[in-house]
Amino acid sequence: MVFAPKARCYVLSILSLAYGITASAQDGTLDFERDIRTIFEEHCVACHGAEQAEAGVRLDGKRFAEHLGPALWKPGDPDQSPLFQRVTSTDPEFRMPPDSSGLDAVAIDRLKKWIAEGAMWPNSDKESEPADPRYDHWAWQPLRPVAIPSVPKQEALEQDHSDWATNPIDAFIMDSLVRNGLRPSPPALRREWLRRLSIDLTGLPPSYEEMERFVASQEPDAYEREVERLLASPDYGERWAQDWLDVAHYADTHGFERDQKRDHAWRYRDYVVRSFDSDKPYDQFLKEQIAGDAYWPDRSEAIIATGFLAAGPWDFVGQAETPSPQIKRQARADDLDDMLAQVMTATCGITIHCARCHNHKLDPITQREYYQMWAFFSGSYRGDRDADPAQAVALEKERNRIRDEQAAIRAQLQNWSRQLSLADMVGGGDGNGTGKKGTGIHILTGIPQVEFLGQIQSPGGSSFQPVDHPFIDGVVIPNGECQIATTGLKAQGIPKTSGLSWDAIRNGPVNAQKSTQIGSVDFQGPEHAVLGLHANAAITWDLDAVRPALESQELLFRCEIGYGGRPEGTVTYADARILLDGQSAFLAEGLNPASQRIAVALPIPARVRFLTLLSTEGTDGIGHDQIFFGDPTLSPWASERNEQERRAIESLQQRLSELQQQLDALPGVDQVYAIRSQTPATIHVLHRGSPEQVGAPVEPAALRCLVDCPPVKIDSETSDAQRRRALADWITSPSNPLPARVIVNRLWQHHFGTGIVDTPSDFGLGGGKPSHPELLDWLAGELIRCNYSLKTISRLICTSQAYRQSSRHTSRDGMAVDAQNRWIWRQSLRRLDAETIRDSVLFIAGTLQRTKFGPGYQDFDYQEEYAPIYRYRTADRPDLWRRSLYRFVVRTTPHPFLTPLDCPDPANLTPRRNVTTTAIQSLATWNHEWILQQARYMAERIQKEHSRDAWVQAAYQDAFCREPTPEERVASEALLGSDQGLADLCRVLVNSNEFLTID
Amino acid sequence: MHNRRHWLWNTGTGIGGLALSSLLQADRRRAHAGSTERPQHSDFMTGQIQAQRVIEIFCPGGLSHVDTWDYKPQLIESDGKEFDPELGKQTFAGVAGKLAKSFWTFRQHGEAGRWMSDLFPNLAKHVDDLAFIHSMQSKSALHGPAMFMMNSGFPRPGFPAMGAWISYGLGSENENLPTYVVLPDPRGLPPGGVLNWGAGFLPAMHQGTVIEVASQGPPIRDLYPADQRPLPLEEPSRALLRLLNERHRAERPDATMLDARIAAFEMAARLQLSAPDAISWNQESAATQGRYAVEDPDAGPFGRQCLLARRLVERGVRFVQIFCGAENTSKLKVRPNWDSHEDIVRDHGYWGRVLDIGASALLADLKERGLLDSTLVICTTEFGRQPFMQGQQKGRDHNPGAFTAWMAGGGIRGGTAHGESDPVGFQAVEPTYCYDLHATALHLLGIDHEKLTFYHNGIQRRLTDVHGHVLHSILK
Repeated sequence: MVFAPKARCYVLSILSLAYGITASAQDGTLDFERDIRTIFEEHCVACHGAEQAEAGVRLDGKRFAEHLGPALWKPGDPDQSPLFQRVTSTDPEFRMPPDSSGLDAVAIDRLKKWIAEGAMWPNSDKESEPADPRYDHWAWQPLRPVAIPSVPKQEALEQDHSDWATNPIDAFIMDSLVRNGLRPSPPALRREWLRRLSIDLTGLPPSYEEMERFVASQEPDAYEREVERLLASPDYGERWAQDWLDVAHYADTHGFERDQKRDHAWRYRDYVVRSFDSDKPYDQFLKEQIAGDAYWPDRSEAIIATGFLAAGPWDFVGQAETPSPQIKRQARADDLDDMLAQVMTATCGITIHCARCHNHKLDPITQREYYQMWAFFSGSYRGDRDADPAQAVALEKERNRIRDEQAAIRAQLQNWSRQLSLADMVGGGDGNGTGKKGTGIHILTGIPQVEFLGQIQSPGGSSFQPVDHPFIDGVVIPNGECQIATTGLKAQGIPKTSGLSWDAIRNGPVNAQKSTQIGSVDFQGPEHAVLGLHANAAITWDLDAVRPALESQELLFRCEIGYGGRPEGTVTYADARILLDGQSAFLAEGLNPASQRIAVALPIPARVRFLTLLSTEGTDGIGHDQIFFGDPTLSPWASERNEQERRAIESLQQRLSELQQQLDALPGVDQVYAIRSQTPATIHVLHRGSPEQVGAPVEPAALRCLVDCPPVKIDSETSDAQRRRALADWITSPSNPLPARVIVNRLWQHHFGTGIVDTPSDFGLGGGKPSHPELLDWLAGELIRCNYSLKTISRLICTSQAYRQSSRHTSRDGMAVDAQNRWIWRQSLRRLDAETIRDSVLFIAGTLQRTKFGPGYQDFDYQEEYAPIYRYRTADRPDLWRRSLYRFVVRTTPHPFLTPLDCPDPANLTPRRNVTTTAIQSLATWNHEWILQQARYMAERIQKEHSRDAWVQAAYQDAFCREPTPEERVASEALLGSDQGLADLCRVLVNSNEFLTID
Repeated sequence: MHNRRHWLWNTGTGIGGLALSSLLQADRRRAHAGSTERPQHSDFMTGQIQAQRVIEIFCPGGLSHVDTWDYKPQLIESDGKEFDPELGKQTFAGVAGKLAKSFWTFRQHGEAGRWMSDLFPNLAKHVDDLAFIHSMQSKSALHGPAMFMMNSGFPRPGFPAMGAWISYGLGSENENLPTYVVLPDPRGLPPGGVLNWGAGFLPAMHQGTVIEVASQGPPIRDLYPADQRPLPLEEPSRALLRLLNERHRAERPDATMLDARIAAFEMAARLQLSAPDAISWNQESAATQGRYAVEDPDAGPFGRQCLLARRLVERGVRFVQIFCGAENTSKLKVRPNWDSHEDIVRDHGYWGRVLDIGASALLADLKERGLLDSTLVICTTEFGRQPFMQGQQKGRDHNPGAFTAWMAGGGIRGGTAHGESDPVGFQAVEPTYCYDLHATALHLLGIDHEKLTFYHNGIQRRLTDVHGHVLHSILK
């Protein structure tokens, strides 16, 4: 029924269109309102209008169309106009409108003519575009000054709440309590309050001594002193960093199938700890993390901070391994989505990622805006980078100094002696640089080989092939005793092999060779040469042919031998041999990435005719069993020189070797897993979020829903770091009310269990409404007034009466009106989070290691595989007893003890931890080997420190910061009958609800 | 009663009572955020329940549809012909070889005359119980993302697996066993590891619980004290813990979370007794053990997992997931899963026999015990394999464009098929996605897949994202 009138309109407009044809056909001129706007309204604006604006396109007003410009049409050129291409396409996926028939020929003709004539859109739009009510959402509104409510007179309340008159927080809380007919609860016991405060601010319980001191204190400001002491504690940053790392979904591995380690990610984690410890102004904290490399390019701390953007998962297979461009596009799209979602939810509580495939369903954010925000990150790539620019410059300077001197010496040596490069000969040359780099010799045919090859199999298990080269005798696939020279000479002592080889013997690295590095020298660099020799392969020189060229009978063979396989964590290796007339003259077994530098200087007597370089497999000949010879040369043996020459050469070579040692000893620049900038790619709107359905290009721009924020002024030429700087400026702009609101809400959640907004990363229309909007704005304003000091806000909260309330208290009114305690008529009973449970157990056992900072502890065995395997082991050593924050977090392999306790999956941004209660959780805290061990350590410590009659008392003091009751004492003593009785008692205590919860 | 069961296994933080303020009423659905309340059955149950429980057999690595379930006469004709090299560049390995017909002969079976290859002589006898989905397609050609997609609907990590959603929606039928049990291949975890059965943003209680039968340790992690002390010695410690917790609870009037914690602890103690019984497959008759080939060195491990799955669903476990294959590792004679890049005859030959024996035994056993009618059995993989050889190799590359899954049991019309792939099996015609398979599975369990939701970071999430159509053509 509702649709009937509309349907009639539709029929009418079809008729009027038909009439229009006649009209325009008659006079040949187009009338925009009659001929064009009707098409838009009939076929387009349902999806491309005020209500939906699919892909950010609107055709319901001139200014929207002008905003898109050439993304819609090119005046005068219909064929180059995307709109015209869309309506005329034969691809049903691409064609607009998307219904089955598309536009009729008449409408298409008219659009063509209109664009061809300049696409003129007269200024005839009705001005009264209805305002989008979603723009009025509370969260986008500017922060406004808030008056602190006056606390009701005492006589209006049933009991004395005079303490509630000093702290503004209390005024707001009391105000809403009274308005809802509620009363605050009495203060918590001092013991409860200090334990609550200590765990909130440091993540560790107080010691018994600290507790007793506070309970006995007569100081009028005893509470404030405790707050100050704990805010200044070195444990403070370690506690708060965890909240932020949850929001950043930090981990120390990539995630996805090939979950490789990020060995340098920890510097960012330490940065977060230091920032909280030093109470870094929050706006600066955000600027550094989003664009520290642009604001302060010379400051190490600011560069490390960008580890924030890189903290999330990264798919090695999709990004790097596969050759498929389609898969790579998808992986990069996911990467950008992850970065953008993290930044916007963490800083602004805007769920921008909901607009990836279509306009945001709830918030006024278009799909086009989503992609405009992608453009801020379109040059940002995750990866290891130098963490300290100053250090990098100093090291580079020193390295260049050494290299310059080395080059000078080499030039001098060049003058002293003739030498021929064997790598050059492999490339077809005469040893003086006439060969081709990269060219090799086919191992079965002996002919020059340019293209890379894969696996080569010797038909007979081993093979020998003569080579047509003045100096090279032949090439070999070795396998046990086998022929190595045209004379039929056989090699002795060669191991049995698979008879498989790989690629060719090359003047340069072989196919897929991972490294040409030995120590600090890359032999692929200028002035160096690589002879690539993948197992199983060998090559023999006829020295009798070489000797005339060097005018010497006695020769010297020099080289360095390197391992060319996978540089990290490899399980393969290879052997290298040098043979003189088939007899082993040099053997290096089991070469692998960890092998030390091997420099060979082998004198060759005049009687030797054949020199053979030979490589055999460590595993299967086709894995990464690859070695190479760096700078292999033959030169006249120095015994034929005069004494003076020889001494000079020796001294220069001595110096060269010293310099090389100096170079090798130089440390690398500190690395951090953070952002590596590239030239930003052009970003397009992706239809339905698919990288294969590319729409109009977009330039970086910020969201319009924050109407008071100044627009971002950058363009397609702006560099990566400067784009992010522009974004950081926009986010931290004084006109943007969200970051301050969002962070004070996170602090509130930390101290009360639930935020004023209970969806801390979603302040949009789908998120929670603030329970105390005025308080939220007052706190946000206070944060700005105190120069963004987070400790100041925590101090305000912790010294409030609202925070000090008892959690045990109940009231019928409270339970009836507000069982969830959103009005904060009491404190909330909370369970410790996973990390705090672990840290607290270590703390009371006396085993906690307080080492701050540095690489994380790894409580797993690592196995290098295609998909690396992490097997957790029980943390049974002191170096694994650091605070949980320093855990090396493996993204794909959840921790067996922490995960059941709701430690989140770092694939997800986690603004708030789940709190579950399961049998599996009870099994973990009751039976896990680590708990049993720690209970034993705690018992041993108590036994050492106390006499037998004080054991029970000591255990309760450590675990609960209180004395046992007489009943508890009797029941606990009964447990001490057996050998492990005290350990059993400690295990019971850490499993008790009193230990695992805070009042 | 239903609520009490949930209480014992899955009790949440216990937010009791109803808030009357408009603030708190504003959005009931969103109340799940950060809390662990159960969803309201009336919100998503359809009232049409055809299956009580699910067993899913997952074949990781990429099971080749063109060599197994998807008969392609055109591919036989095209055998040895070149494939479009440009399209070939878009594949995972980036190089297409020649088209190749199935390495096993296809025959028609059963009354319905459905085709199946000779790789599955035993499963072929059950063809009239199976409903094939030949038009399956994945959005990723990579193992990890495709595994995640097939399990959770998203090719990214961090989303709840189907089993977790079902646990969230339905809870358990047996308060003494987990709701969602995973039986990984004893050779190792599948690509993507344990995240495949993760709870994502759902409360952690809904993640799959791994039962390990092959290892020396307890079947469930931390089921017994790590120092292996006799359980009776635990009683004094338990008694003291009870005393402490009860005293603590008595001083905190409304703290229902503490009740939940005490109950969970008692539940853990009962699990120590119930779990060993559930997994004792050696209590089965010799004939049953023989049918599952439990002693066979190759097929035995999977046979045991299938037998165990039957024992678990018999005892009321809601969702059992069996993995037929592990993660890729190098240096094994046979690939440890179906990922047959270099030698399909070798690797599919091996895994085909494993799947054939275990899955056929499971179907027969369930049927004889009258359980098949109320148990949905799903067999799937993360993607298919290409109709052409991978370059010069003797294997096939990943093919997200088409693959086949099948379903049997509760509510399924056997001997049918939905959808098809193109004449050579390269791309699905009118693709079906995991969304549709998931929607169908939930439908059979009586759940409307569009209504079982959970709020997370701005989105009311569901298993099927914004997609999913129930495949009515294969339903009774």
